[in-house]
Amino acid sequence: MNDFITVYSAEIMRRLRSRIFIVGILIGAIGIAALIKLPALMDSVATQANRIEIAGDPALVSQAGPLLRKDYHVIRALPGKTTILPSDLSDAKNVSAIILLRRSGHSMNVVVYARDPGNISVSSLRRDLLPISLQIATGLSRADLSSAMKLPVAMRAINSKFGTAAQANDARIIAYIMLFSLYILIMINSQLIMSSVAEEKTSRIAEMLVASVNPSALLSGKIAASATLAIVQMIIWIGVGFLFGAHPGAPPALEAADSARATTFSLSSVSSADLAGFAAFFLLGYLQVSTMFAAVGSLVNRTEDLGALAGPLVIPVVAAFLIAMTALAAPNTPVVIITSFVPLIAPFVMFARIVVSDVPAWQVMLSLAINIAATWAIAVLAGKIYRVGMLLYGRPPKLAQIWSVIRS
Amino acid sequence: MRAVRDVSFSIEAGSTFGLLGPNGAGKTTTMRMIVGIYMPDGGSIAWKSAPIDGRIRRRFGYLPEERGLYGRMKVREQIAFFGRLHGLVEPDVTTRTQRWIDNLELNEYVDRPCAELSKGNQQKVQIACAAVHNPELLVLDEPFTGLDPVNADMLLATLRGLKQNDTTLVLSSHQMWQLEQLCDRFCIITNGENRASGTLAQLRAVWTTRVIRIEPGGEAVRRVLQSVAGAHPLASDDGALLYEVPANTELPSILRDLVAVESVTRFEAIEPSLHDIYVRTIEGAA
Repeated sequence: MNDFITVYSAEIMRRLRSRIFIVGILIGAIGIAALIKLPALMDSVATQANRIEIAGDPALVSQAGPLLRKDYHVIRALPGKTTILPSDLSDAKNVSAIILLRRSGHSMNVVVYARDPGNISVSSLRRDLLPISLQIATGLSRADLSSAMKLPVAMRAINSKFGTAAQANDARIIAYIMLFSLYILIMINSQLIMSSVAEEKTSRIAEMLVASVNPSALLSGKIAASATLAIVQMIIWIGVGFLFGAHPGAPPALEAADSARATTFSLSSVSSADLAGFAAFFLLGYLQVSTMFAAVGSLVNRTEDLGALAGPLVIPVVAAFLIAMTALAAPNTPVVIITSFVPLIAPFVMFARIVVSDVPAWQVMLSLAINIAATWAIAVLAGKIYRVGMLLYGRPPKLAQIWSVIRS
Repeated sequence: MRAVRDVSFSIEAGSTFGLLGPNGAGKTTTMRMIVGIYMPDGGSIAWKSAPIDGRIRRRFGYLPEERGLYGRMKVREQIAFFGRLHGLVEPDVTTRTQRWIDNLELNEYVDRPCAELSKGNQQKVQIACAAVHNPELLVLDEPFTGLDPVNADMLLATLRGLKQNDTTLVLSSHQMWQLEQLCDRFCIITNGENRASGTLAQLRAVWTTRVIRIEPGGEAVRRVLQSVAGAHPLASDDGALLYEVPANTELPSILRDLVAVESVTRFEAIEPSLHDIYVRTIEGAA
């Protein structure tokens, strides 16, 4: 235990003093903030492309203004203007299109004069202007029509942990942020551990290290220190994520939510049990993957060989992340349920299922038990490989040699 | 392949022990077993009558033959890191790190990454890393390799200082004269087996011949020596006469016979050096 604490604290100090660690946290935080703010930025770019003017029949123009504002930024209304010339669009530099509305008997004619037709969605125009078209066609009063179009829909959640669609969406966004953090942290830190082990081997310092402390303590201390720092990184990153993306408490009103949906979410959608699940599966996933990477790092003789060896190890992590993304949308498909018990994959997939659905408690417990056992087995095997691998120079060991080491 | 077979020796606490042998003899494997890197598949290794476990091992220091340091870590941090690995805490870490920096004249380099240092200075840093925790037993595999004569002398003086502080030293080297100056006991191994061990006097005691040097080496002297049972001449390039005689030969009686026939100005019985004993032992094993 003393060896473990010594290695753990020494490794923490070594990593904390490393510039790479500090820069990594900063770059990650900036990246997460950028990811969250990207939709808003894209929206603002899209808004610039959606600047329009409305012209034509004055009555239609006055009715269409409020309806079109849902999807477009209406710069100016030009009631009474019935002819549009190319120069009208050229003169208005900040306008991407002019919508001309004309009445023709019991119907309405819409002509779009666009600088770039790709920027104006015909379907959204149809949807926005449908109430006016129906009013003209049916002759109903505006109030009657408005009442008829507001079809009451009540949502009743059955076997769902969420009361509303907004809560479910929020949970998915939060789960996505957490899964993404999990993926990035595991990938970055596992490869850092592998590089660190390989560096110790190739720089020949390994012999002094294993003479100073027990190799198992050395390996476990390194991994635990790395996990601790990864948790610190994760807390910082998730904190940044919430800082830039969350609005506390209840979800916003529906109209506001429509416009804010892409960039904000409510923290109330994720329970403390979800967070505990995240912590448990994060730890298991981290230990499983980083231990494997460390063992493989001890087998290389040149740091140049790391990439080739890391490739096969990355595959299950990438697969786990992709299946977890599927699980966010469909948490109860057979593939998702089965893989939520499989070591290396379960830490991602089971966590995704926990956040977006009601997973039976026995399934969570079984998955935890399987993965704890798998983590222990991986640690024992990796410890054996590491102990021998760190002092094995010359040709890379053959699979048969590695197998004999594992069996010994 | 079996690297070491039935090698057995004991080391007195506070003494200095030299492990000798040609390349591939099993010296490094033996040292690695002492410090717990390799586990022997037979036999046992004990320190002060107790089997060596993790706690005891932390009181050992080890300088491997293969040199290695964290290249990007600064000299002071590196030494302190190994101090902490061996259980040192503040303020001992800082004090002892500085003491070794002073001892090995590394002050100029303390804030430089180790990768920027010359090989010799890197080796000095590594020696400091191995000894910063003031180990009870310090195992040094080829510590003089790569050091220039000035730094080799500095290391020799440092090891003498450790010896005076009752640190038990085990070292291997191909520089026999350095080992002869430093070590109290020796063990010569080859092909993984123990060929000879003991103090220099004990090793000499089992030596079966002695060399005598006589000046001037005239014909009469040569005749006397040829009459000694088992004596045979050795090549000499300085005009003196060198003869190897059986170890049990009565040297005073030979001297009396020589003086009777010629005016002998020098008669010297040359004790075999560690180098001689080593070479003969290895040749005998071959």
